[in-house]
Amino acid sequence: MSEAGTMADDGAAIGGGRAHSRARRLSIEGLNKWFGSNHVVKDLSISVEPSEFLVLLGPSGCGKTTALRIIAGLEQADSGQVLLGDTDVTNELPKYRDIAMVFQSYALYPHKTVAENIGFPLKVRGLKPDERAEAVRDAAAQVHMEELLERYPRQLSGGQRQRVALARAIVRRPSAFLMDEPLSNLDAKLRGYMRAELKHMQHELGVTTVYVTHDQVEAMTLAHRVAIMDEGALQQIGTPREVYDNPANLFVAGFMGSPPMNFIRGSIENGRFESGGGVGVPLEGEGVGGGTAAVMGFRPEDAEVADPGTGLFDTTVYAAELTGDVTLVTVALGGDTSLAIKMPKEYDVDFDRNVAVRFPLERGFLFDAASGERLSARFAVPPGAA
Amino acid sequence: MATRDGTIGGRRPGEDPAAAVVTTAALRSGRLAEWFDRQARTLFIMPAVVMILIFSIFPLIATFILSLSRVRLRGGGYTMRYVGARNYEKQIFGSEQWHFLGTFEEVSVLGWVVTAAGAGLLAWWLVKYLRGRSGRVSVVGTIGRLITASVLFGLTFMFAATLFSGTRLGTLGVTLFYVVVGCGIQFLIGLGLAVLCAQPIRGRTFFRVVFFLPMMVTPIGIGFTFRMMADTGKGPFAPIWQWIGLGDFAWAVNPWTARAFIIVGDSWQWIPFIFVVLLAALENVPRDLVEAGHVDGAGGWQIFREITWPQIVPVAATVMLIRVIEGFKLVDLPNMMTGGGPGIATESMTLHSFFAWRALDPAQSAAISYLLLFVTVVLCVSYFMLVVRKRAAVHG
Amino acid sequence: MAEIPAPTPAPLPARARARGLRRWFEPARIGQMSRGGSIVVYGLLVLWSAFVLFPFYWLAITSLKLPVDVFDGPSFLPWVDFTPNLHAWADLLDFSAKSPLAETLTPYRNSVIIAFCSTALCVLIGAMAAYALARIEYKPRLGNILVFVVLMVVTAVAVGVYGVDLWIAAAVGGALFVLLARSVGRYFKRSVGNADILFWMISQRILPPVVAVVPIYMMFQKVGMLDTHLAIILTYTVVNLPIVVWLMHDFFASIPIDLEESAQLDGASRLMTFFEIVVPLARAGLAATTLLVLILSWNEYLVALFLSTTQAQTLPILVAGMNGGEKGILWWTMAVVIIIMIIPVIAMALLLQRFISKGILLGAVKG
Repeated sequence: MSEAGTMADDGAAIGGGRAHSRARRLSIEGLNKWFGSNHVVKDLSISVEPSEFLVLLGPSGCGKTTALRIIAGLEQADSGQVLLGDTDVTNELPKYRDIAMVFQSYALYPHKTVAENIGFPLKVRGLKPDERAEAVRDAAAQVHMEELLERYPRQLSGGQRQRVALARAIVRRPSAFLMDEPLSNLDAKLRGYMRAELKHMQHELGVTTVYVTHDQVEAMTLAHRVAIMDEGALQQIGTPREVYDNPANLFVAGFMGSPPMNFIRGSIENGRFESGGGVGVPLEGEGVGGGTAAVMGFRPEDAEVADPGTGLFDTTVYAAELTGDVTLVTVALGGDTSLAIKMPKEYDVDFDRNVAVRFPLERGFLFDAASGERLSARFAVPPGAA
Repeated sequence: MATRDGTIGGRRPGEDPAAAVVTTAALRSGRLAEWFDRQARTLFIMPAVVMILIFSIFPLIATFILSLSRVRLRGGGYTMRYVGARNYEKQIFGSEQWHFLGTFEEVSVLGWVVTAAGAGLLAWWLVKYLRGRSGRVSVVGTIGRLITASVLFGLTFMFAATLFSGTRLGTLGVTLFYVVVGCGIQFLIGLGLAVLCAQPIRGRTFFRVVFFLPMMVTPIGIGFTFRMMADTGKGPFAPIWQWIGLGDFAWAVNPWTARAFIIVGDSWQWIPFIFVVLLAALENVPRDLVEAGHVDGAGGWQIFREITWPQIVPVAATVMLIRVIEGFKLVDLPNMMTGGGPGIATESMTLHSFFAWRALDPAQSAAISYLLLFVTVVLCVSYFMLVVRKRAAVHG
Repeated sequence: MAEIPAPTPAPLPARARARGLRRWFEPARIGQMSRGGSIVVYGLLVLWSAFVLFPFYWLAITSLKLPVDVFDGPSFLPWVDFTPNLHAWADLLDFSAKSPLAETLTPYRNSVIIAFCSTALCVLIGAMAAYALARIEYKPRLGNILVFVVLMVVTAVAVGVYGVDLWIAAAVGGALFVLLARSVGRYFKRSVGNADILFWMISQRILPPVVAVVPIYMMFQKVGMLDTHLAIILTYTVVNLPIVVWLMHDFFASIPIDLEESAQLDGASRLMTFFEIVVPLARAGLAATTLLVLILSWNEYLVALFLSTTQAQTLPILVAGMNGGEKGILWWTMAVVIIIMIIPVIAMALLLQRFISKGILLGAVKG
């Protein structure tokens, strides 16, 4: 971008996207929201940089949609602030906030044509019909919907409706986009395609974007940064890689990844992590004192199944499933723990066979079982091991 | 049946065939039940069809035959003689014209202007359709529109020659006045109340229950209560009437106040119906759409005009169809509140027909009721085809 | 995808904030009302509540007034403006005396019998037909329908004009229909479908009752059933049948067909499926429809006016008949009768108003 100066008022654009002259920082500070006695958003503070694509990720009911609706002005926070650039918009009506939103259901007006839907934000602002038509054409071109402007929403496929909703959001050139699970109503194939398109478009427009989803794959692929929420509270915020490789707590570790991280419950005894089923690993670092209940974690793709006696512990195969690109082996450990291990797709194994499980110890994680926080202690890697 | 003892889930194939035999046998036990089941197709629908045929279709035909006859009641029985369309002639052109259509004298200038305007509008509407701009032109569609247009023109001329020429309306005009003006007012107020109740107000349940109540009250009771309240001497508003110098005024003496009086009673009863349905429709508008409107920058009025209203139009059209159909049947209120008076000023067609019956002239009564049926069917079917259907089509 | 046209950087001006008077009508946030708005809204709501409730109040206090209180001009507050008196109510409960209200009891009983019986019959017949139309495919031939209508006309002419006995004419007509139906049906093969039958049934509601009521009167006169409960019950049933069919059809159609199919696989007959599976699922709709029909039959006036004279007289006829007379209108007495007439209905309405609005809405949206 040659006119880099136009975007510099609020800070540098993130992610190398084309700078948008109206992209602004969007920040929320100390947001709290109660529904009756239900504390759905707990002291939430996030700052979204200009042109950044931030994904709010969490299981359903974690308060992420409520947070988004507070940003849009559709809900009122009980305390806290919403700032757009330097302006405090906490007490503004949605129509005075320069924010566009894509709803989960798309919320297309069923009685309006595609063109009328896209042009609606301009119409309510009193733009003349010919100006409107031009802007609508531009926005429609951006989502490849120029041919279908005279159709009604009910005559469109799911993917096309999604595009109309996007066009209606971009036609206003808002300071920020909000998206509430916009891909969740599409089938798997289309979702993958629309994801790429969405990411490209955000890059192209460079608009500050907050995107809510419960799908961690979407979060990983789309986001510049992911903010993970659970029970109304922010758990961790960081780039997808940081969050994946360095989960701050049990929740984040268990939420990211498919299948999720394997956990083995145990305790720290005399500088060793001990668990039933013959698991015992020496630890190093701080806090290796005795008696703490702890959880050991490792990712399915880091581990492998080997001949009995050659791994960390021995167990039996519960099930083996070929998922296409990998074979997913499930082994049982003790009565209530089952572990998933990703093996190459050529790998085949009989059920009930005795096997060993092993993984590089430097890729293991250790969490405090009570608080769920990550422990700073690490597994001691024996010299000579990989 | 087999699930009763829980065997079917756990049973392996081939095991315990005796149980299967028993259950099938159990099903066969009732001969009557089996016969009934085989005839279910017919038995489910026949009672309704037979009832409608006997009490609705047969009378419909019988009334038509009756309306073409002259009936003499004598003793316990009666004699009928075929007289062709004489009864209808009497109502439309003959000695009863003043009663049915109104008093026709010289048509005034205003009357001619109204006639011409009506004719022009209808012609424009027909031509617009025939040029096929707004869709396909079909034979049935054309015939239907021609019927609609001719009936509307006839009614326009009737109003031009009576209402706009300063002479008295007949019962047809009065009925249409009740339907058009009454239902129009009721729709506007009902919609207004529904919009008010859809606001974020406290005590919504209280208001909606209170607003709903009049629908339950018998029209006869309403007629009586409103008569009592409108009494300028003993009614609750008597001090006000006396204060503005209308202490001796009686509603039922002036034709227009009498008609207004009946519309007030009718509205009191029917606004709740429109209110209840439109409120439910408003609450049924997806919240997403309204929120999208807010985010898109629309203000309150814009949201109503551009989002909410188009969403409830199909319901509004249907509810008005129901209201209009019932509106044509209005009889209890005029009978109770004014007895059709002064003169015939508040007499609806149903009441007219009833008076003819009471005057021991069932043939005239039948003819009047058939004329009412004709007008009702043409107007309601036109409204249904041209408004309700079209709205439904847009919303698919 | 570099060929995507870059957006024309034409930032829209943010909406201007409302100024002046309009500021009063702008809410502070979504889901709230503005200060000016709430004054207007509550004002109108209270005004309309007064308009709705005042007639009820006036009825109530009139029933407590002595004739002298009524004729002395308006008085509003019991104990303040006038002394409430239970004379009108006492008349009602005085069974021994030949009071004007002793004769209220027979019409009251008639109204109860007629309204409840006709509602039960109507809902049963109507719901069954509605269910059949929602689930079973019917294809009556157009030819047969034509034959039927022609025969009906001939029968009506024979009975009305030539004085043939109703029963003989009906029997001959029926026999002719059976004979002709097969042969004619072969030539006119076009048939009508469920939607047409449904429309036909519902459209019966357009028919003004006054069109049908004279022949119905004559029919009942012929069979000697004038002024009986049964005559009015049957007529009310037909008058309200379209409403039941209309509302219940949509309820039944909205029930997942899987449940019925599974019941039939389990060996249930159609009738069992209907009463054990479908009816319980459509309970809310049935309740709403029943209430609506009950109210309509309870309040009906015109049909009862034709078909009843003394024995089967219903409440609306009684009230209408008290209008006038040599002593003038007994306002207090009428107020009492109307109150006891509307109390049951109002009570039910309060209990079930939610169902009714839902029921009507469903019909209105889909119909």
